[in-house]
Amino acid sequence: MSLRYLFSELRNRPARTLTGLFSIAIGVALFVSLQAYADGYRQAARAPLVEVGADLTAQRQGTVPGKFEGVVFPHSTAPIHRDEIDQIQKLPGVQAVAEVMFFWSFEPDGFVAGLGLDPSDTFGPGRLKVSITAGRFLQTGDHAVAVADSTYAQQNQLAIGSVVMLGGQSFTIVGLADTSRAGQLANANLYIPLADARTLANAAPQVRSVFDIRPDDANLLFIKTDQTRVDQVAVQVRQILGEKAIVSSGKSFAAELGSLFALIDRFGLLVGLIAFLFATALLLRVVASSVWERRREVAVMRAVGWRRRDVMIQLWSETLVLATAGALLGLALSALITWAMSRSLITVPVPWELSPSPHFLEGGASTFAVTVALPARLTIDLAAWSLGLSVIGASLIGLWLPRRIAQIRPAEVLTNE
Amino acid sequence: MSDLLQADGLQKSFGALQAVRKASLKIAPSEIVAVMGRSGSGKTTLLHLLAGLERPMGGKILYRGEDMGGLNEDALALWRRANIGLVFQAFHLIPTLSALENVAFPLYPMRLKVAERRARAEAHLDQVGLADRAQHRPSRMSGGEQQRVAIARALVNNPPLIFADEPTGNLDSTTGDEILALFNKLRNETGAAFLIITHDDKVAAAADRVLKMVDGILQNEKGQDNEKD
Repeated sequence: MSLRYLFSELRNRPARTLTGLFSIAIGVALFVSLQAYADGYRQAARAPLVEVGADLTAQRQGTVPGKFEGVVFPHSTAPIHRDEIDQIQKLPGVQAVAEVMFFWSFEPDGFVAGLGLDPSDTFGPGRLKVSITAGRFLQTGDHAVAVADSTYAQQNQLAIGSVVMLGGQSFTIVGLADTSRAGQLANANLYIPLADARTLANAAPQVRSVFDIRPDDANLLFIKTDQTRVDQVAVQVRQILGEKAIVSSGKSFAAELGSLFALIDRFGLLVGLIAFLFATALLLRVVASSVWERRREVAVMRAVGWRRRDVMIQLWSETLVLATAGALLGLALSALITWAMSRSLITVPVPWELSPSPHFLEGGASTFAVTVALPARLTIDLAAWSLGLSVIGASLIGLWLPRRIAQIRPAEVLTNE
Repeated sequence: MSDLLQADGLQKSFGALQAVRKASLKIAPSEIVAVMGRSGSGKTTLLHLLAGLERPMGGKILYRGEDMGGLNEDALALWRRANIGLVFQAFHLIPTLSALENVAFPLYPMRLKVAERRARAEAHLDQVGLADRAQHRPSRMSGGEQQRVAIARALVNNPPLIFADEPTGNLDSTTGDEILALFNKLRNETGAAFLIITHDDKVAAAADRVLKMVDGILQNEKGQDNEKD
């Protein structure tokens, strides 16, 4: 194989070389970009969960209370009993479960979204501790104290030391937190110790009237799982919580992203492969026409002493170099495209079930969403796959066509031309 | 003197057309043999048979006493590489390569060092008087220059036998004369034998022997004054 001849051919037949180069480059760029786009969306869909360090949230569809008065559970929540929580904790793949009591409190002076949490949890609402802007976070053993969302506090002229009423019980504010930094899924106006929230719920007439509420219940679970078993755990949690279970995962958030993502997610690989095949077909055409145009050249090769194998290796190498260069160009294009994609912001709507406030109030569920930069990136795996596919495709083309052309009878070509 | 190449009773047909009928000839080292004949008389087919580019349907070819009939396509290619130089009427240079690279073309599949390959190609380009055109591509050279490059390519492996198919057919009279003079010079310098297919009387006159091809039959093996056989 002669590199000098190879590069001379590629350099001195620019139209053919550029057609082959760009057909492969565009095919690879389309393939890679579509995969990076779909993967970016899948990653983005997990953002609401990633923000709180969980892989799943679990709750159970509740019942509308007779009156919106005092402490009530949001319609999307119902008590999850201790034995059910224990079962979930023991599921294979479950690493930890953070229990939460989420409630609404309709007080004479307004509505409050409250969340009872265990301050020792390192994920779920427990992450709120890093978002404290004034005062302190809740501590184990705390009672009748609360941390307020800083925006809510500002709107209601609350400060450290202020006292708020929840279900007829007073809570002293000990800290302010910027909840927007702690994840939208753990969002509430006031955060209180889990034990206090349980007490409030067990004493609330509008909870007791519709639910079998027990002292150790929770109504929202944040679950950390082994990454390879997220889907399995989700299925098993649904089985434990029954037909009214609402289990949210990266996939369920992805479902909120709309039809474009659904199309790309479902058909991205297919469209990418079709683009790739189209590019390969173009390369085949380029190589085929090139080899046909060069029959006389091949005949001369044979006449001056090149064996069939020599001819085949030479033409195969040309195709391979062309395809590899095209694939590298395609990867460079893909890097540019994915960089541009990563500059765009996407909004991940959070399902109404996880909304912190009633949808019938102003600023309720309809405006609840997480906005993140699209995490599209060109991974080494994806780049290696594309390069590998290009090389394999080119190798097959480069072996098949030159193999055929190497069989030509030089005398026939040199006589006729 | 022992024969370099000997052909006995060669036959080749294309469908109903008998292109070569029982052709026999011998070529001695350093000999220039011309084969004349009208278009379609079978001259080129005879050359292709002798060069191993076509398989004869009958007869045999001996090269230095060895029967070539048993060689497969790749073995024939290697045989040509080592023993045969080919010059065509249409030059058949590779358009994307320079003159020097065209001369080196038969050497590309061989495992030679770049410097050695280059040195051999330069030497043969110099031998045909084109050292100063080494980097020119064929499209920038005259017909005579292209044919000289093709001759240098044929010589690059120092073959003892050169087959030339109408080497002056695409050239003007003066350039054709120069090519014939070059053949004679090369014969004297290298000792190579030449089999030249032509219908140019001047070419025939420069040959040691002239054979005629009529309707596939090679005639008058001993009929010329300069016959050495």
